[in-house]
Amino acid sequence: METKTTVTERVAVRPGRKKKNQLPAAIVVLLGVILFGVMLGGKSAGLAISWIFGIAFGIVLQKSRFCFTAAFRDPVLTGSTSLTKAVIIAVAVASVGFGAIQYAAVTKGGTLPGFVSPVGWHVAIGALMFGIGMVISGGCASGTLMRVGEGFMMQWLSLIFFVLGTLWGAHDYSWWKSIFIDGTSGVHLPSVLGWPLGIVLQLTVLGLLYILADRWGNRQKS
Amino acid sequence: MAEYRLDCLGEACPVPLLKTQKKFAGLNVGDVLIVEIDHSCAMKNVPEWARKEGHNVEIEETGDGEWEIYIEKAK
Repeated sequence: METKTTVTERVAVRPGRKKKNQLPAAIVVLLGVILFGVMLGGKSAGLAISWIFGIAFGIVLQKSRFCFTAAFRDPVLTGSTSLTKAVIIAVAVASVGFGAIQYAAVTKGGTLPGFVSPVGWHVAIGALMFGIGMVISGGCASGTLMRVGEGFMMQWLSLIFFVLGTLWGAHDYSWWKSIFIDGTSGVHLPSVLGWPLGIVLQLTVLGLLYILADRWGNRQKS
Repeated sequence: MAEYRLDCLGEACPVPLLKTQKKFAGLNVGDVLIVEIDHSCAMKNVPEWARKEGHNVEIEETGDGEWEIYIEKAK
């Protein structure tokens, strides 16, 4: 009989395998990022800001393992709702932020910034198709890009067909638009209900969804 | 105190977690399952699930972008 050891002890006594030191590569990449940023800044400040935000989004996505696919897939498949709650919080924060930007622009007499996309059956059908695709390919747009950078080669295949599909969709977009999208219109809640009620309604719905997600996550524990 | 290995190398989310759940159901208390993964998301959701179920979990990076998750069945 071997003596009982904990998992922690077992891991501790295992011989470590040699790993490549990634620090030199990290320094080269960081310098490249900075140099390219400076170069873009020379052309236009907007480009440099987009570059920095893009890099920052990538880092946050990778480090947080934020995954829109998992947010919608895991509650059904594995019973975990931690990412679902993360997405709800993200949407709530974005609602407040976009609300502030839009409110500021509109009260100054400007036009409404941002996209208010038409709503209709085409959204539900498209969302279902995208949902099936992202679960099979293992990632949505941002998740696929993040894992491509991480070096998970299966996603390189996803990216190739993601690009092909997007190009095909863009090529025929006017035809789809004329049949399904024209005739439907978007709803901008604050424009219909007024700013306080619009924002409060949106946050209330998100809050209820959060409670629902939390309950669902704990329910599966038993 | 048996030890089992589960090869999930090259498997994308959520396959490693589903395989782990399936395999783990057949283990006895005290057994250890070592899940080999190279998908960074599995490093999050497999331990999260196992800890929620009340098992002991340990993660070790065995190579660049390859991890082994040790799960000891606690109940």
